[in-house]
Amino acid sequence: MDKLISILTQLGSGFLTSIALFFLTLIFSIPLGLLVAKGRMSKNIVISSLVRFYISVMRGTPLMLQLLLVYFGPYYLFNINLRNLKLGPIDYRNIAAVIGFSLNYAAYFGEIFRSGIQSMSKGQYEAATVLGFSKTQTYFRIILPQVVKRVLPAVTNEIITLVKDTSLAQAISVIEMFTVAKQISAAQASVIPLFVAGVFYYVFNGLVEIVMNRIEKKMNYYQ
Amino acid sequence: MKKLVAIALASVMMLGLFASCSGKDSEGGNGNSKKEFVVGFDADFPPMGFKDDSGNYVGFDLDLAKEAAERMGMEFVAQPINWDSKDQELSSGNIDCIWNGFTISGREDKYAWTDAYMENKQVVVVNADSDISKLTDLAGKTVAVQKDSSGLAAVNDNAELKDSFGSLLEEDNYLNAMMELESGAVDAIVMDEIVARYQIQTSGKNFKVLDESVASETYGVGFDLGNTELRDQVQKTLEDMASDGTMAKISNEWFGTDVTIIGK
Repeated sequence: MDKLISILTQLGSGFLTSIALFFLTLIFSIPLGLLVAKGRMSKNIVISSLVRFYISVMRGTPLMLQLLLVYFGPYYLFNINLRNLKLGPIDYRNIAAVIGFSLNYAAYFGEIFRSGIQSMSKGQYEAATVLGFSKTQTYFRIILPQVVKRVLPAVTNEIITLVKDTSLAQAISVIEMFTVAKQISAAQASVIPLFVAGVFYYVFNGLVEIVMNRIEKKMNYYQ
Repeated sequence: MKKLVAIALASVMMLGLFASCSGKDSEGGNGNSKKEFVVGFDADFPPMGFKDDSGNYVGFDLDLAKEAAERMGMEFVAQPINWDSKDQELSSGNIDCIWNGFTISGREDKYAWTDAYMENKQVVVVNADSDISKLTDLAGKTVAVQKDSSGLAAVNDNAELKDSFGSLLEEDNYLNAMMELESGAVDAIVMDEIVARYQIQTSGKNFKVLDESVASETYGVGFDLGNTELRDQVQKTLEDMASDGTMAKISNEWFGTDVTIIGK
């Protein structure tokens, strides 16, 4: 029993890191994803091909490799001592994890948002023009709210994947929950901590599902 | 607007959370003015460096490192690292040294080393009821080692032994290897004797260590090749710790006997 409590409290502290990584990634990658979607649909061929290339790299290479690149890149490319890259008390490895995850998830979100935006019928834009809406008004008041509704299920998928993907941050020694679980397992020579970590992920994803279902219901105002 | 403020606040809180649990175990009180002595170690490696039941990083090597840091007037920081990227962590300046049952043999030219402070053997661990009792019995068997470990190096050095294996598996960590051994997927593990004995004792698993060992070796503290200044400082501190008996004391706490060899 004492062992279990000690496992739970230790995993708890790792869990906070995982959660912080999770929310920070969402906060940065969703707006970035909107930009990616915009850029990908841009009529300017330079912008749209650049964004296409960005998406293909982010989706076409392992996230773990991208994390290693973001983390060790400053040293190997610019010879910067990583210990000096701290942001206040925050280690660069944690910052690198947020940057790596955000860049990667923005590519996926961008494609999801694009699918939503392109699914809107031309009639909506025409009606808005007739009614005297400006371009910005049309986008933010008419198109975007409907896009949000349409893409929610796909976004929920990504968010749930993100919860589990945070464990990849162990590649750059971020002390997130799975790293902690492995350390406890090694110290106690037992696999129980790994299973407890699994329960943590499962319960948290259960909460994510409940929240996303609520939001979906709330958005269901025309049915 | 309100939503934006809320999101901004949430981000700041999250950053704070990140900072507060960035995983480092720094000790030494008001140490902001003190220079840091960042020790890189693999936290899956008891009894040299690991997490104890209350979540602190402890171990024989970490105790030595902490004592040395105090004597040098530096702030001790234990930084757990991913063993696969230890070289990048060291050369990019993230850590000052690797102090973690770090085998010198085979890596002499890759790091700036202190003198060896303890001896170790690469041994073969098998199930207690196994019919393997000497190295030649390993012919045709499946053997596991940890990735990038000195166990692997010892096996690679002994081509005759290696060629006799049925297959050689490289595992992520020793726990995986021991699970494989217990479940019968592998027949033997080649690993550090210190770690093997500790693991068998803690887990109470029914393993035995073969009398015949694969190789003997020594542990040292590894610094980046250019960093001889700090290496010399640590070397001197280690000698002091050996001569005034502190090293023997720490060794007794962990192993019940003095296993250290520095200054002898």
